[in-house]
Amino acid sequence: MKDLRVERDVQTETNKIEARGVQVFYGTNHAIKDVDVDILDKTVTAFIGPSGCGKSTFLRCLNRMNDTVASARVEGKILLENEDIYDARVDPVQLRAKVGMVFQKPNPFPKSIYDNVAYGPRIHGLTRNKSELDEIVEKSLRRAALWNEVKDRLHAGGTGLSGGQQQRLCIARAIATSPEVLLMDEPCSALDPIATAQVEELIDELRTDYSVVIVTHSMQQAARVSQRTAFFHLGNLVEYGETGQIFTNPKDPRTESYISGRIG
Amino acid sequence: MSVFMLLVVIAVLALVGFVIGRQRALASAAGNIKEMHSLPLYYGWHGALMVIVPSLFALTFWLVIQPLVIERQLVGYFPPEVVESSAARTLAMADVRRVAEGLDIAIAQGAMTEVQADMVRTEFGSVRDRLADVGVALGAEVTPQILTAAQDYRKYAVVGNIGRSILTFLVALAGLIYAIRITNKDFRARNRVEQVIMALLSLSSTVAILTTVGIVLSLVGESLRFFTMYPWQDFFFSLTWSPNFQGGSDLGLAPLLWGTIYISFVSIIVAAPIGLFSAIYLAEYASPRVRSVVKPAIEVIAGIPTVVFGLFALVTLGPILRDWIAEPTGWGNSGSSVMTAGLVIGILNIPFVSSLADDVINAVPQAMRDGSYGIGATKSETIRLVILPAALPGIVGGMLLALSRAIGETMIVTMGAGAAAKLDLNPFEAMTTITVKIVSQLTGDTEFDSPETLVAFALGMTLFVLTLGLNVVALYIVRKYREQYE
Ligand SMILES: Nc1ncnc2c1ncn2[C@@H]1O[C@H](COP(=O)(O)OP(=O)(O)OP(=O)(O)O)[C@@H](O)[C@H]1O
Ligand SMILES: [Mg+2]
Repeated sequence: MKDLRVERDVQTETNKIEARGVQVFYGTNHAIKDVDVDILDKTVTAFIGPSGCGKSTFLRCLNRMNDTVASARVEGKILLENEDIYDARVDPVQLRAKVGMVFQKPNPFPKSIYDNVAYGPRIHGLTRNKSELDEIVEKSLRRAALWNEVKDRLHAGGTGLSGGQQQRLCIARAIATSPEVLLMDEPCSALDPIATAQVEELIDELRTDYSVVIVTHSMQQAARVSQRTAFFHLGNLVEYGETGQIFTNPKDPRTESYISGRIG
Repeated sequence: MSVFMLLVVIAVLALVGFVIGRQRALASAAGNIKEMHSLPLYYGWHGALMVIVPSLFALTFWLVIQPLVIERQLVGYFPPEVVESSAARTLAMADVRRVAEGLDIAIAQGAMTEVQADMVRTEFGSVRDRLADVGVALGAEVTPQILTAAQDYRKYAVVGNIGRSILTFLVALAGLIYAIRITNKDFRARNRVEQVIMALLSLSSTVAILTTVGIVLSLVGESLRFFTMYPWQDFFFSLTWSPNFQGGSDLGLAPLLWGTIYISFVSIIVAAPIGLFSAIYLAEYASPRVRSVVKPAIEVIAGIPTVVFGLFALVTLGPILRDWIAEPTGWGNSGSSVMTAGLVIGILNIPFVSSLADDVINAVPQAMRDGSYGIGATKSETIRLVILPAALPGIVGGMLLALSRAIGETMIVTMGAGAAAKLDLNPFEAMTTITVKIVSQLTGDTEFDSPETLVAFALGMTLFVLTLGLNVVALYIVRKYREQYE
């Protein structure tokens, strides 16, 4: 199932995440306004929209990363497999192990490449011995299309890599914990076309097991990798639907003008 | 002309240089700024700098050299034994200066005329009394040699001051003329000003370095003198310290070095964890409100004078430790102890460790924390595995700084640990440190010619090498980790 055409099937129709009436405030700045969205399981969902419209903010709600921003306040309900992730009983730390994240700017730890990837498996105790850990590290780096470049210097510092390599290292780090949902905030903004193609291939491959949410500024990328697309504008979710429909036959005039390059 | 007047003259010439430099540059470009190499301001500054810098150098040079030259002229008046000993010569010169000053004041108040000041002789009555009348107190009666020397001193000083004024003025004028002649629209005034500023900045750093070099050299010189009088093997390897000003002292470094290391060790055991943990709390856990109260409160500690800490050690902590721990357990019965001083120095150092650690922890980018939280790490895992390793060089630096402070601490040790040089493992025994002994070797006696006083320099040298070593280690650690992490 690796076609790059716009029309394609969505594999399942079960909801992984249901967001209802989500509002986000940074102090008095109302960044997300009453957003309802259903993220499907085993699907790639793309968030598109002009800069500053709240894509990253909404993405960060899905694994409660906004908790770490002192001024941020989130309202509404977000259900992960029918469980409210903002419920007091939910441990955000465990939630984030299930809902992994790749950030807009590459942020490798000042540790070796190996230790960067092994970080998640180590803190979550996913492996019993060194060889299992080695295996996870290698597999993650391979899937992130970085293995060939770093296999001879796994113990060199992760911050010594190029920007694009660092971003792939961060992807490897995120998938090493095998999250159920992977949130990717512009993962390809620092990558060359070859690495971009590799990451897109990875995203497509991840879809067999996980649900992936990707923020992107590239319409082509959204069209290539996603099955569902959500268009945000000024904190509102303007339109959400099947990627083919959004790109070929948008219902809202704002979506149409954004896609055709008239607002941005 | 007085030095102040000279400075005024220089300032006036500089102002002239500024105005003319600017004018000339503008005039040569017919007022068109685009044709000039630099902005008009730079031509002005160039004119001013060319006046100020060389003339100030000339003035400083003269001020340093003049007393040396005059002293050499006056040497003839002193008996050979005074000339031989540098200490006696300095004292005699101080007397001469004091009498000369007294004569100046007497003239200024009208108690003497210029001629009288030149003619006055000790044979016809006490010069000391006459000077006392005008409010200049002299320690001893003025000898004929000192008096004539002082009278000559005044003559030389008058000549010297005239020479000083002329030289400074000429140099300033030469600078002004040079600046005016060289200024036209193509002259690169901006670059020249930049060069002068750079030279002045690097000169400042050279002064700092030279001071250090001077201190080290004098330490080394005096230490070497000490080692010619006292065998170095005994200094470094003897295990007893019992100075005796009548001679026959035992000046072994070991007990002092041990006391220093032991007390510093106790202090760092206190300061490192408490400082680091409070920094972590402040940087990562405390709400902004708590932080805004707690951080200044901790930093207040750093502002308390060490002598106050010493009092606390002497009056409060020492007796508490003695009555509650040392005596009940039979470890000792002294209020002054390594423990007392170490704990108090440790408390003193908490704010150093904590505020340095706090700074480096805050300098770790938020993206690192996000990366870790995003994988599902808890706060303490994030701190332990990501933030502390990234901040380690700075933290280690802070701790070593605290350690050097502990090594150099004097007051708290004097008041908290006593002055008994002892080699002992028991932390409830009174011991002492290198710094305390440097002070006690130097108080009272000011003649630096016996091993008992010169040992202070050897001790100072040891201390210097110790802290230098610490700094080198700190730099090495910081470098090593920086390479690994970036
Ligand atoms: N930490 C923060 N504190 C305060 N305001 C914030 C913060 N992060 C984002 N915002 C504000 O929230 C709004 C949405 O920002 P967000 O980062 O979600 O935009 P975005 O759609 O991801 O933009 P881009 O495509 O440029 O990444 C912006 O107006 C921004 O100024
Ligand atoms: Mg963004």
